[in-house]
Amino acid sequence: MPSLKIKTEVAELGRIFAAVDELGSQNNWPDDFIFRINLVVEEVAMNCIKYCHMEGVSDFEITMDPQDDVLTIEIIDAGRPFDPLMDAPEADTDSDIEDRAIGGLGIHLVRTMTDDMRYRREADQNHLTLIMHKPS
Amino acid sequence: MQVTTENKNGSLVIVTEGRVDGSNAPEFQEALKDAIKEGGEKVILDFEHLSYISSAGLRVILMFAKQLRRENIAFAACSLIASVKDIFAISGFDKIIPIHASQKEAMAALG
Repeated sequence: MPSLKIKTEVAELGRIFAAVDELGSQNNWPDDFIFRINLVVEEVAMNCIKYCHMEGVSDFEITMDPQDDVLTIEIIDAGRPFDPLMDAPEADTDSDIEDRAIGGLGIHLVRTMTDDMRYRREADQNHLTLIMHKPS
Repeated sequence: MQVTTENKNGSLVIVTEGRVDGSNAPEFQEALKDAIKEGGEKVILDFEHLSYISSAGLRVILMFAKQLRRENIAFAACSLIASVKDIFAISGFDKIIPIHASQKEAMAALG
């Protein structure tokens, strides 16, 4: 079960992608599923990198646990309490181009591409658990 | 990630190759800005070789599309791989950016 300790720096994205791609090829997952995992993990990691870094938190943890056709991703950080299920703004996916709001798309993509999302605050840490089923 | 441009039948074709993610989205933004410096009436964003994009890159595309609209430049995207096309649809980009199957179709649609 790969567990990565990630610094809150954008340059760390490369390591995350490499870990996802490796896990994907080990499990013979289809390219589109690997694409989606990369995307989901990048979006939550970028949030951590941005906000934790501003709060002086220097690293966080990502764990990916593949069991049969279900991947469980857990992101643990010591940043301020943040529940993306409740606290993230709704993305604008409908307005005309002139009025289309910029931002909020990251969490919207994560919500759409995961089968389940759970958040808990434990021991002064944010625990975000994401479940993704391999497409049949 | 690499961005190249080409003038074809009166359209400026902007080809993006590789991955656009949170680490290189600022470069992508600069590259698009440079690409339309010379102006033009029609822009085609060719994404055939765009293998990955996340919200950081989508944000750049949205801002670019808004700029083109403000400057009255007609635009379209073409040749998205299936995974990228899904991302565009989930983000509602297909409602504001015309998407065509090929460069040729995009050119025909822009007239």
